[in-house]
Amino acid sequence: MDLLNNLYMGFSISLTPINILYCLAGCFFGQIVGVLPGIGAPTAVALLLPLTFSLNPTSAIIMFAGIYYGVAYGGTITSVLINVPGESSTVMTCLDGYQMALKGRAGAALSVAVIGSWIAGTFSVVLLMCFAPALAKFALNFGPAEYFGLALMSFGLLTVFGGDEPIKTIISTILGLFLATIGLDVVSGVPRFSFGIPQLLGGFDFIVIICGIFGLAEVFNSIEEPEEGQMIKQKMGLRDLFLTRAEWIASRWAIVRGGIIGFFVGIVPAGGITTASFLAYLGEKRLSRHPERFGNGAIEGVAAPEAANNAASISGFAPLLALGIPGSPTTAVMLAGFMMWGIRPGPLLFQNNPDLVWGLISSKFIGNFILLLMNIFLIPLFVMILRVPYTILMCFIVICAAVGAYTVNNNLFDVWMMVGFGVLGYVMKKLKYPIVPLVLALVLGRLAENSLRQALILSAGSVWVFFTKPISALFMVAAILAYLNPVLRWLWKGLLRGVGTPPELGAN
Amino acid sequence: MGAVFLKEKEMRLAELTGGIVLLLLGVAIFFFSLELPYMSEYGPGPGFLPRWLSLALVGCSVAVLVGLLRKQKKDESFLKPRTREGVKVLGLIIINFLFLPVLGFSVVLALFTGMTMRAMGRHSWVLCGLTALGVAIGIHLIFIQWLTIPLPEGIVGW
Repeated sequence: MDLLNNLYMGFSISLTPINILYCLAGCFFGQIVGVLPGIGAPTAVALLLPLTFSLNPTSAIIMFAGIYYGVAYGGTITSVLINVPGESSTVMTCLDGYQMALKGRAGAALSVAVIGSWIAGTFSVVLLMCFAPALAKFALNFGPAEYFGLALMSFGLLTVFGGDEPIKTIISTILGLFLATIGLDVVSGVPRFSFGIPQLLGGFDFIVIICGIFGLAEVFNSIEEPEEGQMIKQKMGLRDLFLTRAEWIASRWAIVRGGIIGFFVGIVPAGGITTASFLAYLGEKRLSRHPERFGNGAIEGVAAPEAANNAASISGFAPLLALGIPGSPTTAVMLAGFMMWGIRPGPLLFQNNPDLVWGLISSKFIGNFILLLMNIFLIPLFVMILRVPYTILMCFIVICAAVGAYTVNNNLFDVWMMVGFGVLGYVMKKLKYPIVPLVLALVLGRLAENSLRQALILSAGSVWVFFTKPISALFMVAAILAYLNPVLRWLWKGLLRGVGTPPELGAN
Repeated sequence: MGAVFLKEKEMRLAELTGGIVLLLLGVAIFFFSLELPYMSEYGPGPGFLPRWLSLALVGCSVAVLVGLLRKQKKDESFLKPRTREGVKVLGLIIINFLFLPVLGFSVVLALFTGMTMRAMGRHSWVLCGLTALGVAIGIHLIFIQWLTIPLPEGIVGW
């Protein structure tokens, strides 16, 4: 009953004209960002965040959520029509979506992606409604030891999901944690690594770093390696968007399975929408009686990852809202937004700001519906956007990044910092150091350090405090296993082969 | 074959430089963290985490450097054919941003847009000029007038 009352309250907020407008704007902008290669959801949210200082936080977060799941929809269009994923979360869609387009079924591929995304997205919102409040209630029991364990586990899971070289993921995490220590220490008031520069006493602002490391760095990377593909020239009428009976039968269970995988991967810290779509695709291929069809235009190969990425983009809000722990770069940027508006996400958010939480959750029903309509009627418009020259888009990103960085503290020092972090992000990407761990560590760094110190103070310096409490012990064991993942995998492989070969350092 | 060797050498050099920079950073953080109290009256002090982070960074960067010796060949290069274009844009950003205190945001970002479109997109002078003008007006109207962001206006007063 409580759930229905809360939902009713949420709809009374999200259905106000102004919030519908922000939701529509977010979905539209997200869809555009998804279509354009070279700019992702975290970049878009980071660039817009400083411009929303004066907005009502509920309206702003509804818009950002719209961007987040709008991106997951938008990336599909380029994946299907030009074999270039607009977003990393739609990489798997390219494999079969483009093949379907080559066979004249581009309309069906786009339709199944939209329908799958909508069904899985709606299903994910329903689960989020039930799951997030329960998680928040559970998290009320968390103390410093549990929060430190949770943060450590999130960093550890990044080494599992973070790419081919776990050692570089760890370095990236350390850099993020180090950047978070710069400025006045909140416990003792001692300045750290500020070297007498007054602007550094408050530490690096997260938004400045994000504008550089996502916005500007993405500009340099996109100039160097432009993602260009050949657009399939195919006339698409409304009739081409209909699925055949066989196509629907083949894809319906793939959508359900993709939605379930997406939901659960999304709520795992560091899981993310790309991992969700990847796992859903692999799972579907493994379950199929004809795996050889995958990669040759199997409609399940489009339905499952698309359902998964949308479900994950929605369930990713569960750890953010209930625990204050972001699961992905985009939700990490949103966490910075919450802090900017003076709101602390976590277990008490459901009690202190129910209007924001339920307004946001209910807006996802509206946003998903808006995106369904947009993707049926506005595909030609989004295809046209692909023709915008990259130089213009690039200038737009630089303008937003510069203004965004300046807005944080109204000083030019931050603009130069943004440029510096842009160069750092560019070099890191070239040397294959992942950016996401740095960002997550930066945003969680203060929480992790304060929790660590508080837990050690409470236990009179005994590290066993992290292992004697069951929840924190669980997180710590998960973190240790995650960090040992490369070694465990090597041992397992060696065991299977009979004779082990030494691991290549850094290989996953 | 020769090209692959050169690419590999170049990438290895870049990774080696990256590893050494990280190692030096780790050592520097360690020494600077020595100036901060490791323990305070009640527990870990402000130097506690940085010291452990620096040690971890040193350890990981050594692992990266050792790993470079054993790494298999990869057909990748650090410098790409279009790297020069990226550096050009960085140069334009730095040159234009130097004038931010003097000319203000609207004018500088408009100049940056015009120059970048001309240098990167090979658009006509007229189009570049018109877009730059549009950017200046857009920034003034959207950021300064509508969103009331107090962007520096410079000597132009705009």
